[in-house]
Amino acid sequence: MIFKSRRIFLKNSFLTSVIFITCSGELFAAVTPMQTIALVQKDLFPDTLHTPQSSDINASYYLYTILNHSRVTDKTKSFIKDGAKWLNEASVEKYKKIYTKLSAKERQNILKEISQNGWGENWIITIMTYLLEAMLGDPIYGGNKNQSGWKWLNHTSGLPRPTKAIL
Amino acid sequence: MMYDVCIVGSGAGGAPIAYELSRAGYKVVVLEKGANYKEEDFSKDEIGVSRRELFTPLLKDEQHVINERDKDGVTTRYSGEESGWSFWNGSMVGGSSNLMSGYFHRLKPDDFNLMSKYGKIDGANIADWPIAYEDLESYYTKVEKVVGVSGDVVEHKFLEPRSTKNFPHPMLEVNSAAKWFDATCKALGYESIPTPRAILPHNALNRKGCSYSNFCGSYGCSTGAKGSARAALLQKCDAKIITDAFVYKLDSDEKRVTKAYYYNKELKSHVIEAKIFVVAAQAIESSRLLLNSKNSYFPNGLTNNNAQVGKNLIFSAGGSGEGRMRFETLIKKQQEELMQPGLFFNRSLQEWYEYEQDGKKYKGGTIDFLFEHSNIISRTAREMYDEEGNLIWGTKLQEKIHKNLTTSRVIVFEIFNDWLPSDYCNVTIDETVKDKYGVNVAAINLFGHPHDIKVGEYLSEKAKSVLKDMGATEISVNISSDPPPNLVAGGCRFGDDPKTSVLDSNCKAHELDNLYVTDASFMPTGGSVPYTWTIYANSFRVADVILKKLKS
Repeated sequence: MIFKSRRIFLKNSFLTSVIFITCSGELFAAVTPMQTIALVQKDLFPDTLHTPQSSDINASYYLYTILNHSRVTDKTKSFIKDGAKWLNEASVEKYKKIYTKLSAKERQNILKEISQNGWGENWIITIMTYLLEAMLGDPIYGGNKNQSGWKWLNHTSGLPRPTKAIL
Repeated sequence: MMYDVCIVGSGAGGAPIAYELSRAGYKVVVLEKGANYKEEDFSKDEIGVSRRELFTPLLKDEQHVINERDKDGVTTRYSGEESGWSFWNGSMVGGSSNLMSGYFHRLKPDDFNLMSKYGKIDGANIADWPIAYEDLESYYTKVEKVVGVSGDVVEHKFLEPRSTKNFPHPMLEVNSAAKWFDATCKALGYESIPTPRAILPHNALNRKGCSYSNFCGSYGCSTGAKGSARAALLQKCDAKIITDAFVYKLDSDEKRVTKAYYYNKELKSHVIEAKIFVVAAQAIESSRLLLNSKNSYFPNGLTNNNAQVGKNLIFSAGGSGEGRMRFETLIKKQQEELMQPGLFFNRSLQEWYEYEQDGKKYKGGTIDFLFEHSNIISRTAREMYDEEGNLIWGTKLQEKIHKNLTTSRVIVFEIFNDWLPSDYCNVTIDETVKDKYGVNVAAINLFGHPHDIKVGEYLSEKAKSVLKDMGATEISVNISSDPPPNLVAGGCRFGDDPKTSVLDSNCKAHELDNLYVTDASFMPTGGSVPYTWTIYANSFRVADVILKKLKS
């Protein structure tokens, strides 16, 4: 669904092209920001029996739309990507492994660690906020499938609902 | 083509002029920077409207520079684009009145005489209005009828004099929680007031009634029940509206404005000629337009030979607070009533519009009580911190969100008190930053007088006491000098002395024969209520003045 055309593919390459992780000035690994962010999204809002499932929230897809959005600043878009790099650098520094190779416990430790500093706190809030938008925005934006987010919170949406996404 | 009247801006300040004069047969053109949205274009799309701010310009295209002065006299400069600090409210036909909540209060007679009644305050440029409440009363009544105001007049000690007994439309339906509020106020000896709203509760005025969707603030109304300048006025007259028209300059000779120049979407320049010009682009942009309109007669900006344009910018002072009604304190029936969507809360207190403290009388203000906005994304996003102020995520966050949103509801209060005008709060032109049209942007020079905070804090203590007695928990309050961008006025104050005011008592420029300013710019002081009703009323008043002038 995402890679329907080359144009969209090129835009999406912002998150799917590799970033290089260094440790003590040496090249350590190459990862794509999206691999990291997709896992962070699951760590921040895990699937449970009582909450909307990640497949219904569709947060990764939604984040692609944000990175292509005409009304989201370049500063925010760069911050999303840079944060993924800095998170991996923090992981490598502490565990000598990139974020996606860490155990669940180690990932939580790293998230706690970065949440204590300015950029980390802001980055987690940014990723979480867009996840909440995916989960609770109108399904026309690709998330909140079957209105699972609204049902979870007994939310009655305002009417009329949009017939066209603002992109 | 020569128009009779050219109006810059189509919001609450411009639309009454367009409505009255076009209906009287005059050729009226309205230049509106934004697009024309109609009822069928509006939806309750939280992402598009509230998160991506569909109805305001992108800050990389159009911004302000903000110079904020703190209480120690230190000024910090903020680029609107870099800081994300936006003072835009609604670039569209009907302006920000499309997006208002429609809390409508009249000014009180004493609001017109703040200087005479309460005296000078150090560091504040308080001035009496050149007109009295009686001059505006019939126009407040006209707004009730033409724009549509619903409510129920109840006697209270600061009820302003009225020429009619009650509102033309009955009050909107309210949630049971409003009745708990009434009972609490009664026990405390306070007079609870049903908040008048510029919302029709039923079909009237060739518009549909409220659908109780409960998404008023920030959203366009898809039924037309909300009394926006577009739905109530512009859609009911044949004034010509040119959209996507950014007016960048007015030209004049010594006595008269002659032309308005605007850029269209393609940045092509166009010219409009008219006998009378009305500026109503919202306070900051109106001052900016005049200051940017320099010529040999007015080298410092149009009608600015006395250096008054942009001075004494004001906002609404005060702040807001909230408390949470939790299921634990309610019986099952009350829990169900509390969570019923759609119905309004709609309660106000004006008990302390004037109050006495330490033997001294103070001008106080209004407290509106309402439910937290229905926006579900912003309601969940605020749950990301625990009670100790730590960022949380995972199951801890999920449980907190679910509990708070399904077993409690937040009641918010908003405080409106006077933002005292001062030498440090004004509009100038920033000489270094231009917008996408290549025009220098406005610099908003901000300063909140410490007196405003004192009054706001006094009122907030009263509001907190009501919520506490009502059974709310987690009560918090935020009183500050942060300016609410949607409650802005001043910059071209009216008065009798050209040396201290831009406009005369009819909102005509002292220095020009055919220029009027009819948005909130004219207000020397703002009163302690939201401005929209007064802007509408004053604009209808000025429309009568212009009508008389055109007839003569």
